[in-house]
Amino acid sequence: MKRLVTFTVNGEMQKVTVEPYRSLLDVLRNEVGLTGTKKGCDVGDCSACTVILNGQPVNSCLVLGVEADGMVIETIEGLAQKMEDGYALHPLQKNFLKYGAAQCGFCTPGMIMAAKALLDGNPHPTEAEVRFAIAGNICRCTGFAKIVEAILRTNVDG
Amino acid sequence: MHKTYAVVGSSPTKIDGIEKVTGSATYGADYNWPGTLYGRIKRSPYAHAQVVSIDTTKALVLDGVNAVLTFKDVPRAKHAGLPAPRAGSLAVDQNVLTDKARFVGDGIAAVAAVSEEIAEVALDLIEIEYELLPLVLDITEATKPGAPHIHGTEKNEVMPPVVVERGDVAAEFAKADHIVEGTYTTGRPIHCYMEPNVCVCKFDQNGKLTIWSSTQTPFSVRQSISEVLSIPLHKIQVIVEHMGGGFGAKQDLYQHEYVCVLLARKTGRPVKMEYSRKETFLATRTRHPVTVRLKHGLKKDGTLTAREGTYISDSGGYGSHGPGVTAVGTINLTSLYQCSENWKLEGRSVYTNAPVAGAYRGFGAVQGFFALDVQMDEMAEVVGMDPVAFRLKNAVGEGDPSPSGHPLHGYSLAKCLQRGAEEMNWAAKWQQPEVKSGFVRTGLGVGTEMHSSGAYPDIKEISGAILKMNEDGSVNLLTGVADLGTGALTAMAQIAAEELGIYFEDIIVIAGDTDVAPYDIGAYASRTTHIGGKAVQKAATKLKQKLLTLAAERLETPISDLDIHNGKIIEQGKPALSVQDLVKGDGGTPASAIISEVTHESKVAYSFAAHFAEVEVDTETGQIEVKQVVAVHEVGKIINQKGVEGQIEGGIQQGLGHSITEDLILDPETGQPLNPSFVDYKMPLSMDMPSIKTIILEEEPDPGGPFGAKGVGEDPIIAIGPAIANAVSNAIGVRIRDLPITPERVLEAMEEKRLADL
Amino acid sequence: MMRFEYFEPDTLDEAVTLLGQYAGKASLMAGGTDLLVEIKEHLHRPDYVINIKKICDLDALTYNNTDGLTIGSLTTVRAVETSPVVLEKYAGLAQAARHLGSIQVRNRATVAGNICRASPSADTLPPLIADEATLKLYGPGGERVLPMEVFFTGPRQTQITKDEILTEIVIPPPPPHTGKAYIKHGRRKAMELATVGVGVSLTLDGDFCREVRIVLGAVAPTPIRAWEAEATLRGTVIDEALIEAAAVKAMEVSRPISDVRSSAVHRRKMVHVQTRRVIALALSRARSDS
Repeated sequence: MKRLVTFTVNGEMQKVTVEPYRSLLDVLRNEVGLTGTKKGCDVGDCSACTVILNGQPVNSCLVLGVEADGMVIETIEGLAQKMEDGYALHPLQKNFLKYGAAQCGFCTPGMIMAAKALLDGNPHPTEAEVRFAIAGNICRCTGFAKIVEAILRTNVDG
Repeated sequence: MHKTYAVVGSSPTKIDGIEKVTGSATYGADYNWPGTLYGRIKRSPYAHAQVVSIDTTKALVLDGVNAVLTFKDVPRAKHAGLPAPRAGSLAVDQNVLTDKARFVGDGIAAVAAVSEEIAEVALDLIEIEYELLPLVLDITEATKPGAPHIHGTEKNEVMPPVVVERGDVAAEFAKADHIVEGTYTTGRPIHCYMEPNVCVCKFDQNGKLTIWSSTQTPFSVRQSISEVLSIPLHKIQVIVEHMGGGFGAKQDLYQHEYVCVLLARKTGRPVKMEYSRKETFLATRTRHPVTVRLKHGLKKDGTLTAREGTYISDSGGYGSHGPGVTAVGTINLTSLYQCSENWKLEGRSVYTNAPVAGAYRGFGAVQGFFALDVQMDEMAEVVGMDPVAFRLKNAVGEGDPSPSGHPLHGYSLAKCLQRGAEEMNWAAKWQQPEVKSGFVRTGLGVGTEMHSSGAYPDIKEISGAILKMNEDGSVNLLTGVADLGTGALTAMAQIAAEELGIYFEDIIVIAGDTDVAPYDIGAYASRTTHIGGKAVQKAATKLKQKLLTLAAERLETPISDLDIHNGKIIEQGKPALSVQDLVKGDGGTPASAIISEVTHESKVAYSFAAHFAEVEVDTETGQIEVKQVVAVHEVGKIINQKGVEGQIEGGIQQGLGHSITEDLILDPETGQPLNPSFVDYKMPLSMDMPSIKTIILEEEPDPGGPFGAKGVGEDPIIAIGPAIANAVSNAIGVRIRDLPITPERVLEAMEEKRLADL
Repeated sequence: MMRFEYFEPDTLDEAVTLLGQYAGKASLMAGGTDLLVEIKEHLHRPDYVINIKKICDLDALTYNNTDGLTIGSLTTVRAVETSPVVLEKYAGLAQAARHLGSIQVRNRATVAGNICRASPSADTLPPLIADEATLKLYGPGGERVLPMEVFFTGPRQTQITKDEILTEIVIPPPPPHTGKAYIKHGRRKAMELATVGVGVSLTLDGDFCREVRIVLGAVAPTPIRAWEAEATLRGTVIDEALIEAAAVKAMEVSRPISDVRSSAVHRRKMVHVQTRRVIALALSRARSDS
């Protein structure tokens, strides 16, 4: 039986009616219409579907849509700041571009959200801490080298 | 000649970068048309079975199911999974849906329903009775008389053997100072691109079909769908906006692409078919496991005098690229290290009931050069030479035959080896294998390779480019090149901008649409920069000539006095007129159409690489850690610096995985893959990667490439394997000849040595 | 994902009633990181899913010197991993938590869930058993307490009944001069399932080993105590030779299966190696603990 669920996504309130067995990932992609978060495996093994849920990075494929009721969700679409004419990219997004950290780009939204969660709590991580923070995010294109570099060089303070 | 480039050689922001970092890039699964149905395939749970009966009644009456197809409802003629011109590389043995399963996961039937949940329930309601057939999973068993017939070919061979011979190997062996021989095997790695295969099909009111597919070869999809499903080619449009990796697997069509079209046609609704991650393990492609037997004759001074070998690949249930991979892998062994032009090589590909093997980055070279590069170390040991020195002595260079038969230019391989050895401090750090103390042992190893930039001469290499001037001085570049994440389209834009003399930001790339882009055979064989890019460069040269002709008229100056730089016409070194002013037309009158088009056909060029790896082996657990890799690549000319580095770093991740932890393991009784998931198929992750130093040489630019550029996509995955194997051998004092180098193999090897030394 | 009906009870009693009502067809859900995977992979098809995350006061993570550490059944693995007191006093558990899945999984997964699912290779089990954890279960008959050591009866099987809920895990405070450690043996550094797991808690009295508990995971249908290995060390001044002897005993008591992750033969060898290493680690920690 469908349930009404209300949550905030990227600062905006969303109300959707969904079956309890739909994952938050599917709800975000279909009902809310935000397809930036990707489905790489659907079983929590690849972290491509990482979103930040009440401040914590989680695999949205393993959260039910109905569980997100009342919660605050950040997805990749919410990172860039809307300006009068265009967008201002988040420092992480700028550095992913600058250091060539996105090749096919499929792991990128989840990777950036995992990195954002790291920097939100630890603005100056070591390389080991960066690699640990993205240890669950699979990338098959880059060998992680430029991803780690981009995150390490991101100074969220300025 | 020192030339300063405006944009080639640097790393401008990728043209699709912003979409990717903001999540606005559209991949196949992101398309949501109103009324879309979800398709799923019913797959055989058995590796070898004949369907005796199939009953779809219950599935058909399930609420929410719009269509059910079985092998009875689809075209029965066999096809190659790719269109006709490619057939030289492939076997024509696939079915849109089959009544005989030849591997676990072979598709028998399909449904389209209003939701994925209902489609899954419907699959369960299709009742199939199978007659189990004896199965075979071993290439030697498969060729014996009495082995189960998988396709009815003799000895289960996919195609007649590939045989190459030159000189007199027998005579050379007879007089050689040393003979070294061995058997080398590689495992069954699989691509694991992050975007599962997906296809969306939609017919419009005119009967025109649009296919959004995650494919490396949109023109091949168009043509194969047309051929196999008898739809006129011009009624099919294939669009790839973005794709999430392919590495060769998405070079073929799979059952779901044909089925998706048929379901869309039957239901009159858009149909989306997305593979589950498990399906990507079962029912796409793997690399061919290969057994190489290799034998060399050599002189006391280390000169190789003869080479003999067999290369036998396990094709799995269907042929796919077995013929191509086997041919390339076999013929590659005529080069890389000279053998005095005496060789005798034979390649075979054998059907088994394993998952289907196909094209995977490195296409046969990974396996063949692994064997060659390991045996190079063995031979160095026999004559008492340093492995790098031994390689330098025999490395191919100027005038030596390449695998295509064309003579090579320059000494790229030697330069890669020398540069890498210097960087790694090889001479000081490498020792003759000796007993080291402590349970962690370090080792150093080198691996090398060469790879063509393109698939010539196996395939007619062709690419087109169209440049269309806009009234504001910008240019639309229409290219058939496919970008699977490599940054190919960015490189195309850089090439166009450089050649034309206008800003990179003023090139607008239009790609990924078969209705609009000029024909291109696809993104594989490391061809996009070298061949696609050359077409772009040629088109830009033509366009530049048109612009200069116009400018010469306007300025009343000879063309020889003119050039274009930073979007301006330069007359005798000084800016005279902006390109925009040149082309814009006079106040309201439309600008003339200024268009250039080129079709470029290619010969072949070769890139080279030498990888130096430092490993640590825990001799108690057998676990290997790769600490450092120095990767030296010779690519002719860098178009996009970070793009080239990215290919090398990514290729090393894959090759490292293939060497140590990645293997799709099959149940020996049933042929069922036992680890079809990311948790049990173990790719290296962020904490498993070594530090990588890339050194990119531009020693041998190839005139056939744009600004001399050659390919790089496949090179890194080839060189890293033998580098690691040789490093492990160096660490533990036992020769490693089989991939993946699992901890069990390390411990077994050490135990055998310990017993042998007693 | 396959369909199910869904409940979010507000109290333990409500949850227990639902469990009783739908006995055999209902699954409890806390973190969901195991349950949802099983449902998606068709390994488990409950008709009813009972999400207990709305129940109050189940997410404790508190320590005092009398009772020790209390972990509520909704406490996430990540909370345990990052807790300074766990890191200081229960290093084996911290280590196990740190290597379970990914950060994304650990932000949802619960220690209680890891226990109730009772996979033979579950990471938190060996250190918890080595630390003498007890489990509080709540059912229609009220509350009962079980030592964790006797909780597991087979692979994926525990003593919990169909209408009981695990509410709390209590771990006694470690005596002075105690060192705890857990080693997870796997093929890569993260996103692994243990092919062998060894948890140790070791307490010194001067130079003597007063108490030691060695628990092996992934090498039997349930986690097992390596009693004879412990006996080799208990009451002795531990040296390299004794550690080696204990490691051999641990290997001898292991009865692992062969599966795609590892062969039985290799697993037994790894028990030998990793038991030796984890005892040495716990010993050095005990020596520096005051």
